[in-house]
Amino acid sequence: MIDFAQNTLDGVMAGSSYALLALGFTLIFGVMRRLNLSFGPSIMVGAYLGTFLYVQYGAPSLVVALVAVAGAALAGIYVERLCFAPMAAGAGVASMVSSFAIWMQLEQAAILILPRHTYAFPPLSTAAPLALGPLLVRPDHLIVLACTAVLTAAISVLIYRTRYGLGLRAIINDTVAAHLVGVDVKKSLIVAFALASAIGGVAGYLVLAVDQQVTPMFGMWATIKGLIAMMIGGLGSIPGAVVGGLVLGIVEMHSQWHFGPQIRDLVAYGLLFACLVLRPGGLFGAPPAGETMIEK
Amino acid sequence: MDDYLVSVLSNIGVISFLALSAYLLLLTGEISFGQQAFFAIGAYAAGIATALWGWPLAAGLLLGALAAAAAAVLVGLPTLRLRGLYFAIATLAFAEAVRILLELFHYQAMVDGEPVGPTGADGFRGIRYIFESDVSPFQFMLVIWAILAATLVGFFLLGRSRLGVVLRMIGEDRVLAALQGVAVARCKVLAAALAGAVAGLGGGLFAHMTTYIEPRMFDIMLGVHALAYGIIGGLGTALGPLLGVLIDIGLLESVRWFAAYRMIVFGGLVALLLIVRPRGLLDEKAVHYIRQAGKKIVRTAAARLSISDRTTG
Repeated sequence: MIDFAQNTLDGVMAGSSYALLALGFTLIFGVMRRLNLSFGPSIMVGAYLGTFLYVQYGAPSLVVALVAVAGAALAGIYVERLCFAPMAAGAGVASMVSSFAIWMQLEQAAILILPRHTYAFPPLSTAAPLALGPLLVRPDHLIVLACTAVLTAAISVLIYRTRYGLGLRAIINDTVAAHLVGVDVKKSLIVAFALASAIGGVAGYLVLAVDQQVTPMFGMWATIKGLIAMMIGGLGSIPGAVVGGLVLGIVEMHSQWHFGPQIRDLVAYGLLFACLVLRPGGLFGAPPAGETMIEK
Repeated sequence: MDDYLVSVLSNIGVISFLALSAYLLLLTGEISFGQQAFFAIGAYAAGIATALWGWPLAAGLLLGALAAAAAAVLVGLPTLRLRGLYFAIATLAFAEAVRILLELFHYQAMVDGEPVGPTGADGFRGIRYIFESDVSPFQFMLVIWAILAATLVGFFLLGRSRLGVVLRMIGEDRVLAALQGVAVARCKVLAAALAGAVAGLGGGLFAHMTTYIEPRMFDIMLGVHALAYGIIGGLGTALGPLLGVLIDIGLLESVRWFAAYRMIVFGGLVALLLIVRPRGLLDEKAVHYIRQAGKKIVRTAAARLSISDRTTG
């Protein structure tokens, strides 16, 4: 029983970083209705820049965090300008393949900055685990959880309570109409992309600071985990991203404890497949209507 | 021909099967991130058939293609009602699940006093059929390209057939196709099975070319590359995916002009190309113009011929 509770708790902790990744992912998808495969690699560029400063000049954690977030946001803007802005309305596949090409580019650029396989990453907190009754919680996990809660609330307020959010929702509803009533579509989209990538940057920083190491696999890892969490929760839904992340974290933690890491990944993909087949809209999203990626 | 060129050409040929497989689904309007799974299933099935059971190569390749087609039908049925991104992610989940299952898959038999067969994540060594049968890498390259040529002929025949037209129609507008009396579900499962078989055939050839396969080779990177080849090369003709493979493996990987900067240059080029041509180099329009130009040349040549016939005759 205690094992079960401890695993669930650890799952919530791991899931909160998945939720952050999914939040960034879902923001881009919700606005563009297109998949940005370069989401993870953009985060990786920021993380690698931060790591570079840490490894070369011993930069403090705060600087590393700021550089990681700013780097991810800049990479996100680059992706938007190159893969999304110039594509015609119906060319969703072209955007996706293009963002894949930029994935390759960003990953190679990151490896050029730091060519070794593993680098140390500054830890978030090295304090001893806190005892919560019979359960143990790592302090750095609590920081991740708090960041996720704060950022999710902030994004909800931004989307549903501000003028910018209103404009963004207008764009989602009808781009042309939004343009006609005076919403600066181009600027709004760039900001949304930068914001989403910055959230990803925060998630990336937190995950790496908990792991205390960074490898070139991180870009792919972030894309895949964010994608699974987003799809389970429901595309374009903020509560969906959070719930999807937590569900993924909890399921992964339990299956890892019982069956090991390979079965953990198998279960995660099985869950994703089952969710898609049985409830294609995700737990919180609307079921897919006429939405397609290939249009003429 | 030197060894390096032979290996590059063999590689291009084998990967082309995978690109054609993704292309076939693109025609029906579906993006699959998971064709590498059928490539893997074909590779393992064909490898087991020749290395462990002592089957001849042709039978092994056939088994690989059939196993992959069967798996494709199994995935195709539950994902039938998924569209666009949802289908893409479902195929991705399936393919990654297959890769992990292959990491857990152990099946060995004693061949000539040595254990041979897949050993999970450590891979599957000793698919030595072409060495044991004294087939040189050059001859095997010819085999690969002969089968690829036959497959391409199949694609062209398909393109001219009723089924080919129906598949493109479903890709354009599935509802309209259904209203015209097309059995959309059946056609889509059939397309999935064909695409799976093509990928499985390529996988079987791949296993015998490299003699060693491991689950890691069949990761999502391979699948997305396969998809990208069709879109870079063009969706207008089955030669499009081939052109995409040629550009990537032939030009960039093999020539190694850019070495460390290869992905930076290639990634940027692809992104810029897609802005100008979102349906690839050889898109429907380009193919149409090329056909028209070809017909014109034939017509003028025929006209000249008949004039010269008259003057001489």
